[in-house]
Formats: sequence, C-alpha cells, structure tokens
Amino acid sequence: MSETPLVPARLQAAAALVLIVQLLWVAGLVRSRRLGLRDSFLWLLSTLVALALTAFPGVLRVAARELRVEVPSNALFAAAIVYILVNQLGATVALSASGARIRRLAQESALLRGELEVLRARVERLGGAPSASALEPGQSPGR
Amino acid sequence: MRVLALVPAFNEAANLPRVLDGLRAAAGALRQDVAVVDDGSSDDTAAVARGWGALALRSPVNLGIGGAVQIGYLWARAHAYDIAVQIDGDGQHDPADIAALVGPLLEGRADLVVGSRFLEAGGFRSTSLRRAGIRYLSALLRLRCGARFTDPTSGFRAAGPRALDLFAASYPSDYPEPESLALAVRAGLRVVEVPVRMREREHGDSSIGALRTLYYLLKVTLALVLLPIRRSTPARAEEGTT
Repeated sequence: MSETPLVPARLQAAAALVLIVQLLWVAGLVRSRRLGLRDSFLWLLSTLVALALTAFPGVLRVAARELRVEVPSNALFAAAIVYILVNQLGATVALSASGARIRRLAQESALLRGELEVLRARVERLGGAPSASALEPGQSPGR
Repeated sequence: MRVLALVPAFNEAANLPRVLDGLRAAAGALRQDVAVVDDGSSDDTAAVARGWGALALRSPVNLGIGGAVQIGYLWARAHAYDIAVQIDGDGQHDPADIAALVGPLLEGRADLVVGSRFLEAGGFRSTSLRRAGIRYLSALLRLRCGARFTDPTSGFRAAGPRALDLFAASYPSDYPEPESLALAVRAGLRVVEVPVRMREREHGDSSIGALRTLYYLLKVTLALVLLPIRRSTPARAEEGTT
C-alpha cells in the first residue's frame, strides 16, 4: 500500500528552514554572549532532534502507528509540545538556580553591610571619627 | 552565654521602636545584642534600628521572611552567638516572653523553642478560618514527622547552637515556619513549645491576607509532602535554600 507522505515535501522544507533559522539564532545569541553556553545546550540539542525528525518523518509515522495515534500528524503536534515543554522546564530550572544565587548574594550583602557598620562604629570609638565619605572607594578608611 | 535577638522587619519603622524598647526592658539578666534584619524596606526601618542602637542588617532586595530570617541566623553563627531569639518586628510578639523561650535552651533540654499562642486556653483569638488552617498544619506536621505542634506558624522562637547551624545552612523561602520545624525535627533536634501571648498589630497589615492563606496552605502542604524525598542540603548552585 502506498502511504501518503506525513509531511508534504514543501512543508518539510519550510519546517527545516524554520528550525535551521532557530539554530542559527541560538548560535548567534551564544556568539554575542547574550545566551550562556550552558543554557543553549538544551535548545541546540532539542532543535537538532526536531531537525532530524523533519528530515526523516518516517520515524514519526512509525511512532504514531506504534502508539496507536489515529491521525499521524497529531504525533507531530505532540512532539512539538514536548519540545516546548522540555525547553520551558529547562528555563524554569535556570530561573530557580538564579533566584537561589540572588538570595545568597543579597544575604551576603546584608551581612557585609553589618560588618561594615560594626567596623565603622569601632573606628569611631577609637577616635577616628570617619565621615561617610572617608569610606568611599579610593580613600583609606579611618584616620 | 551570648544571645542575639533577631528582628525581621519589612517596612516596620512605625512598629519597630516599641519592639526594640520592649526588648531592652525584657533583657534583664541576659546580655543580649539586637540585630534588625531590614528586608529591603522602602521606609526608614534600618535608620530607626540604627538610631535605637541596634545593628541593622539590610538586604538590598526584598527576600521574603525566610531569606531575611536566614540573614540573622548566618550573622549569629558567624559571630559565635549561642542563642538566637527570632521575634517579629511588627510588635505582635511580647519581648517579655523571651525569658520563657530561652529557658529550655539554658536548661539543656531543647535545641529549638517555639512560642505558641494556643498552648494556654484563651491565649489568643483568631479568625475561625485561620484556626482551621493552623489545625490542619499541625495535623500534617504530626503525620509527616511525628511531632506535635499547637502553633506551627509561629515566628517567635529561640534557637540554640544546633538549630543555629541548621538554619544558617538551610532555611525555606516563603512561609517558612512549618517547614523549618519539620527540618529541625528531621535533623534530630529537640523542639519544644512554650506558651506565649500575642498582640494585635498596631500599625499596618499582617503580611498574610485572606487570599494568600490558600497559597500558604498549598505551598506548605507540598513542602511537607515532598520532605522525605528532598535533599536536606541544597545542590551546589542553590546553596542557602531548600
């Protein structure tokens, strides 16, 4: 039996083009250092997988048949949703890690302000009486 | 025995003087330093604290109560305090109760002492919804770590050296109180409740509104349900949170 192609050739070419532009976009962001190499991995990997599926749509057809998906193109939509979910989760994980680091840094900053306050009070007690500007960068504290 | 009173405060310039005066009056025989953790306030909370003679630990951003309180525990540990007493900057806790909180630590029969509004009959009136929520959290805590708490949301507590080390290393983020109790119990700390009085706020609103109560309950439920499968020490990149 002759199967109608899951994806018409023209659509296949258009999908490949979109994914290649996407790859180049991610690569460009990494090149200009607006996207960290670490954060780009998931995008590059998942986009390459999507590109491979576009090149060999037969894989999707087999998967759709094995999973008893009635309309094979629905398997394509499912794959697209998984692609988005994976990258979205990756972004949320990165966001959480960032949030934790910000919390740590803010805490460290509060502790250092406390240490500075204690030191400043001690210097004042020793008769140094530093004005606020005496602790500005470029000047030696106290005295 | 060095005691640090740590006062988390977010925009509490109006309530703070009364709390700090109360702390001074209640200090008694205990030599006690006072650190106000200013959680990124937009009013002069930090200036009021400094003017009063307390140390102000000022976070550049609002971290929420969990991140703010942990600043106090980190300071206490870095400066070798034996006990840290956590007391809210909004004036709802009575500093006169600190002696009762510190008692079990000094007697060496607890690592963490929690002030409970509900341990004595008629101690504190609250809305029935809030009471139901607190009963639910108590039941959940008993289920998850086998410990009985009458007031698991209390932020009035005294931490001994072991609790100080634990909380400096890991302290939950939003609505941290019930989860931190579970962490303490699971870390093998002896946690004790003592009765305290609580007062209504004088200025401003409590940080927990009616709608947020739902998020509070869901968040704490999730935290307690996931408790046994989460690592007690955070992963490398997430140091300081749980």
